[in-house]
Amino acid sequence: MIKKVVTASVLALVGVAALNAGTYNAQAEKDRQALVKYFEKKFANPEKSKNQFFPYTSDKELKDNYAKGLKFNDFRLGSYAFSKEGKSQYDELNEMPPYEDNVDAGEELYNSTKGIKQCFPDPAIAGEYPKFDDKSGKVVTLEAAINDCLKANGQKPWNMKKGKLADLEAYFAAKSKEAGKKVDIKIQSKAAAAAYESGKKIYYSQRGYLKLSCATCHVQGAGERVRREYLSPLLGHTTHFPVYRLKWQGLGTMERRIGGCEKNQGENPHKANSQWVAKMIYFMSYMSNGLPVDGPDIRK
Amino acid sequence: MQRMKLFLAASAMAGLLSVGASAGNADLVKQGEKIFNTKKIGNCLACHAVNGKNINNPGTLGPKLQGLSAWPAEALYAKVYNPYTTNPISAMPPFGLNGVLDDHQIKAVVAYLKTVK
Ligand code: HEC
Ligand code: HEC
Repeated sequence: MIKKVVTASVLALVGVAALNAGTYNAQAEKDRQALVKYFEKKFANPEKSKNQFFPYTSDKELKDNYAKGLKFNDFRLGSYAFSKEGKSQYDELNEMPPYEDNVDAGEELYNSTKGIKQCFPDPAIAGEYPKFDDKSGKVVTLEAAINDCLKANGQKPWNMKKGKLADLEAYFAAKSKEAGKKVDIKIQSKAAAAAYESGKKIYYSQRGYLKLSCATCHVQGAGERVRREYLSPLLGHTTHFPVYRLKWQGLGTMERRIGGCEKNQGENPHKANSQWVAKMIYFMSYMSNGLPVDGPDIRK
Repeated sequence: MQRMKLFLAASAMAGLLSVGASAGNADLVKQGEKIFNTKKIGNCLACHAVNGKNINNPGTLGPKLQGLSAWPAEALYAKVYNPYTTNPISAMPPFGLNGVLDDHQIKAVVAYLKTVK
């Protein structure tokens, strides 16, 4: 009897120790798994689950244009994962990827820009950002880390939305993809967990004069259309940036894309270098943990 | 504040009844249709197809609108003014509450919606 009690409490102790080491991401991990489950269910068979998930889409469209049986790894493709029509356009565009020159320009910048190689000795790091910096108590996006590095080397920071910074990131993304890296966001302190929570809150709150939340369009609304655009799921949103957008006729970072979507909500976009944006990207990126990095990519 | 808004909405609706009754509202219907289909104004087509109307690439985030001619004008006004009154978790923006559309514009949209079979 006594022996049993002892074993039980030893086990409990071990449990507590394990808990302390890895609990800061416990809530985030729960959220992530729930999200994956939700999307796998939503896109298992859209035609059959119309009432539950696609109440306003016609039977014909669900039958003709929606792929079935999507699994975790498929979600890195955004709306092309489920829209058959979108996928065939995407495949066509990819025969001559327009971002290849950007990757080359990025490699050139990597080798020639003072300090960059020292700050980022391994370029295959696209899946590791944003990071939480416990010293400053801030979320550091890859864009911010690059600019911090430039400043530390006596140079002017770059535009966080496009141009040189996007090119350098295209190179980082390509190297990460080549190395088979996955999205691997860490939450390792109480303050980091709090930053994650506030990013989540921002993502799910209604904003702007249209009172839409990001989730209205990219969680509940994912798979439905705004005009002719299929809405991509939150899961997989951060795997492939920077993105070459036909609308932009060029490359853009996550900050650039988010600014556009804030306008969709009827909101004045927040500054690209704000913690507001950084925390949201921290949350969004954690949601894609475990997916392969596959940037740069192309979108309409 | 909330009460004030409700009051405003209510009086706007009272005004609407007289407008809706007049037979010569073809012009108003036209204005409403334009608001419905214009991106920078109502942009309703972003989410809604409309039964019997030929709309260029309407979205599917909201239901295909049908049978609205049977709705009381007040109910349509309320829906567009603030969908949360009847559906607190609606994904539809509150066009009146936030001043995206003014009273006259909403009346025009309602006149248009009343033509939807
Ligand atoms: C009114 C609907 C709407 C809202 C609200 C909205 N978006 Fe979007 N978003 C779109 C559309 C349409 C696209 C382009 C099609 C697509 O890829 O989903 C898009 C694309 C994106 C993409 C690019 C996806 C990719 O794979 O390239 C990201 C990232 C994104 N949105 C994030 C956000 C964030 C963050 C918010 C909230 C600040 C938000 N969106 C709010 C409609 C919306
Ligand atoms: C961002 C998406 C979105 C936009 C933009 C939008 N709606 Fe809606 N609408 C919805 C959704 C979702 C519903 C269903 C939920 C509800 O009834 O609140 C709805 C419901 C309605 C209904 C009730 C239909 C029924 O059969 O119950 C009417 C009428 C309507 N909308 C009119 C409009 C008008 C007019 C506009 C533009 C001024 C508009 N909507 C813009 C999403 C939208």
